[in-house]
Amino acid sequence: MAMRQTPLTCSGHTRPVVDLAFSGITPHGYFLISACKDGKPMLRQGDTGDWIGTFLGHKGAVWGATLNTDATKAATAAADFTAKVWDAVSGDEILTLAHKHIVKTVTFTQDSSCLLTGGNDKLLRIYDLANHEAAPQEIAGHTSAIKKALWCNNDKQILSAADDKTIRLWDRSSMTEVKTLSFDTSVSSMEYVPEGEILVITYGKTIAFYNAQSLDLIKKVDAPAPINSASLHPEKDFFVAGGEDFKLYKFDYGTKEELESYKGHFGPVHCVRFSPDGELYASGSEDGTLRLWQTAVGKTYGLWKCVLPEDLVAENSEQLYTSPPEIKA
Amino acid sequence: MATPVSVLRLPRGPDPNSRGFDPKSPRFIALCRTSIPTSAEAEADPEQLQKEQHARSMLRETFLRCLLSMANRKVQFNMYEKVKVEATFGASDIDVLNFQVSDLHTPIGVQKEALIRSQDVISFTYDV
Repeated sequence: MAMRQTPLTCSGHTRPVVDLAFSGITPHGYFLISACKDGKPMLRQGDTGDWIGTFLGHKGAVWGATLNTDATKAATAAADFTAKVWDAVSGDEILTLAHKHIVKTVTFTQDSSCLLTGGNDKLLRIYDLANHEAAPQEIAGHTSAIKKALWCNNDKQILSAADDKTIRLWDRSSMTEVKTLSFDTSVSSMEYVPEGEILVITYGKTIAFYNAQSLDLIKKVDAPAPINSASLHPEKDFFVAGGEDFKLYKFDYGTKEELESYKGHFGPVHCVRFSPDGELYASGSEDGTLRLWQTAVGKTYGLWKCVLPEDLVAENSEQLYTSPPEIKA
Repeated sequence: MATPVSVLRLPRGPDPNSRGFDPKSPRFIALCRTSIPTSAEAEADPEQLQKEQHARSMLRETFLRCLLSMANRKVQFNMYEKVKVEATFGASDIDVLNFQVSDLHTPIGVQKEALIRSQDVISFTYDV
């Protein structure tokens, strides 16, 4: 019997959700942070979407948010010209790093010792968190605002995507450009998958997969609508994408076939990411919500419960909540 | 027609009264280092610890009593960007993130009711 996907809606934000990130798997589960234009990034339990806390302090829209692998630290990039580092257990602000323009992207190295930032001042900055008073190392080269920056190749290299329609690979120790990829249109998102060194890029209606070291194209797939973000499943069997038509698409990575599409959001999807265990993916939208979607629809996981027909009429069955049929606007 | 997947409950939303990060949660208890410098050391001298805790309690109590006594008094706020304003103090919120004030005198006029972000304040003074 076919099961219909029931997305879990995480409410709380009052403006569009523009970025989201998962932590690694920790002894207390895994976590999710969401960046929102309301300036209040939120931390949630990754498998249920339950709210844990809100990081208060930014004075402008938060454009980027990330967690370190063990979810003990969070970092956010905002329109108030600062990047902030937070204690993700207590919610306290640890550090404010002043920039000269809107900061769009932040990311930790694997050992959480350094923070990479990028934004509208077109510079990539590397902060040593143990020595934060010291001036950051700066890498110049992009000719317009940086949208996304990532560490790759064991934190020895940096990948950055900017509005100048390029993606550049930089060497960290020499601080020089190694390779550039040029596109006809702005890249909307970038995801790095360390196991397998795959880079997932979206632009226009295309989702493209590149080798992160050589920047050679592996394959690309076109979606039915302009795509803002895509994510590859940890086991590399599926990838998901979302964009301007409000839908989430699921594709088979091997065959490039579109498997499913899901409606649910009431606005364009800005970001989508698979959880570290691949059991669900989260999407953030212009409608101000995050939604969690099951990879294997119908499986018991988190708040989703697999109900066999017999269970529905059992005398001692627990109270189950079945979502009402969707009402088309 | 396909049956929608059943759900145990919906994800919990934010608490309107606090910023979260429950100190009673197992993760907080396991991971949060104590904020008392003495007790963070391996060999904590219980007497030192007690003295420090006592000092902290006193400071906290003084601060809270100060906020209480400020109610309805004229207070001068010394803020960043060389801003000095005077207002009648109303109250602080529980996390001391905002101060509610009335009759805030600003260079562009008097604001009947206002919220001052406490992180913007360097210091404030008032007559007891």
